[in-house]
Amino acid sequence: MSITEAEAAQLSFERPSGLWADAWDRFKRNPAALVGIVLIVVFILAAIFAAQIAPFEPNEQAGPLATNPAGPGGEHLLGLDMQGRDVFTRILFGARLSLLVGLVSVSVGLALGLVLGSLAGYLGGRVDFAIMRVMDLMLSVPGLLLAIALVTVMGRGLISIMLAVGIVQVPTFARLLRGSILGQREADYVLAARSVGVPGRRVLLGHILPNSIAPVIVQATLAMATAIIEVAALSFVGLGPNDPRLPEWGKMLAENANRLQQSVHLVLFPGLAIVFSTLGINLIGDGLREAIDPKLKT
Amino acid sequence: MLAYVVRRLLLMFPILLGLSLLVFLFVRALPGGPAIALLGERANDQSIEQINEALGLDQPVHVQYGRYLKNVASGDLGASVRTRQPVTDELARRFPATVELSIAAMFFAILLGIPLGFIAAKRYGGILDNASLVASLIGVSIPVFFLALLLKYLFAVKLGWLPTIGRLSLTEQLDHPTNFYIVDAIVTGNWSALRDALEHLVLPAIALGTIPLAIVARITRAATLDVLSEDYVRTARAKGLDPRVVDRRHVLKNAMLPVVTVIGLQTGLLLTGAVLTETVFAWPGLGTLVLDAIRFRDYAVLQGGILFFAVVFVVVNLLVDISYAFLNPRIRYR
Repeated sequence: MSITEAEAAQLSFERPSGLWADAWDRFKRNPAALVGIVLIVVFILAAIFAAQIAPFEPNEQAGPLATNPAGPGGEHLLGLDMQGRDVFTRILFGARLSLLVGLVSVSVGLALGLVLGSLAGYLGGRVDFAIMRVMDLMLSVPGLLLAIALVTVMGRGLISIMLAVGIVQVPTFARLLRGSILGQREADYVLAARSVGVPGRRVLLGHILPNSIAPVIVQATLAMATAIIEVAALSFVGLGPNDPRLPEWGKMLAENANRLQQSVHLVLFPGLAIVFSTLGINLIGDGLREAIDPKLKT
Repeated sequence: MLAYVVRRLLLMFPILLGLSLLVFLFVRALPGGPAIALLGERANDQSIEQINEALGLDQPVHVQYGRYLKNVASGDLGASVRTRQPVTDELARRFPATVELSIAAMFFAILLGIPLGFIAAKRYGGILDNASLVASLIGVSIPVFFLALLLKYLFAVKLGWLPTIGRLSLTEQLDHPTNFYIVDAIVTGNWSALRDALEHLVLPAIALGTIPLAIVARITRAATLDVLSEDYVRTARAKGLDPRVVDRRHVLKNAMLPVVTVIGLQTGLLLTGAVLTETVFAWPGLGTLVLDAIRFRDYAVLQGGILFFAVVFVVVNLLVDISYAFLNPRIRYR
């Protein structure tokens, strides 16, 4: 039994859905991930429109200088700080800073990690050995301590803080990508590409990398949360950005850490800002991980 | 197995050597330098030169590194410029404090995390399961220092139940044969000091243990879910074994391998968390030692502290790898 050509022309084939379409389908059905999206959208909107939403300027003296500044209430939604600045305003502008810090430092870590990881994974041999031993070395120092050391050397400018936090993340990305590439390197499609004479660089960039990148994307999302917390932690140990006017959440919190009894709102609100933004990022990251690899339940 | 352990121990040497070079370069790269740190305002070209000569800093770098290595190998990490104490003495005094805190935090995380994750998996999809998922996600999103401050505010400032700073009240007298205060109190039979030391330990341990708790609970849940669907669990049930025995002997035991992996990884990360927790509770451990060293530009302490931190980190990771083999006979190290 066979079908005629006319019948065959009428048969419609559904295009097979790709990895990303499938992943998006699963992501959409994950309520936790959607909560994450909402949190992050709020966070991003706050960052973009800080100047429009905020009732004051971040460094404007909006109320009296006070050792025990007023808490939430009246025209100051989240209260005032000791310099009489509006806490709500500063938290809004802090979102800009945290977003910037997260994006830049993860980009630094990702870029360096991608280059080193793919070189190690693709070239193998001595290059692999050399790169991975340096990565091992970096991983043998606790992350925050490495960041502390780097900031101590490079100074407390915003740029060097972002660099330090980014560099700490390099080994994680490099290892992940290398492992992923090693898994792909011997795959049939790579052999096929090589055998038809695709040059090595294009095999790596055009074939292996796109197939190895999924776990790296998940990690990059989660690393944003780590970066935000790490910068706040640096501020907390007194190695935050040295410009006192910058409304960095960690620094706002740290400056008032020993005044819990008198003005808890100065610690509570910046802290909650950190918690909600990192929670949002973590929810999205987890959602992505489950969407990309449904076999993983963690 | 023994061959594996020996090989891993040997592999530690290049790592430690690399680390010592890293730390050495780090200290050389610090702005200022020890002469200026020592002299402060009184620094002038001549006095800087004198101090550099006395400290051997006028020598070529490779000569300096060689001497530094020799000193480190013979256990000499130099002396603190601030307290004039040998760095090794400082480390010996501070290290037990950090270890005590970390062990307490890990206890908290394991004792709560494993049962929580196990119950969540058994009630998969139920309210308890979802609640524990949310709780653990919040747990990993809270910065350690923020949680520490909240705990301090609630239980110490507001309720006044627990002390906020240090390891022991000033009113307590305690001898320190080991510098582990809990052990010291038990060994010397000093029960009021034991109670006091435990009270000081509660809040820092909870603060430091919360992130590991969240992670241990999640991994236990995931691993239990995996094992619950295994054939051998169904077989055990089918042949009529007591469900409690199945849970204990077949499910929990097999679910523990990934949990142990994570506990090991977390132990390393605890050291990072300890730096922050110690700051909040003025806990006289390694973390506060290193931070003070940065603040006062105490290079010898900083250098020794970071090196020591890293050594502990490397050793902990090695112990974790070795413990796998004991837990899972399927893993054979060669």
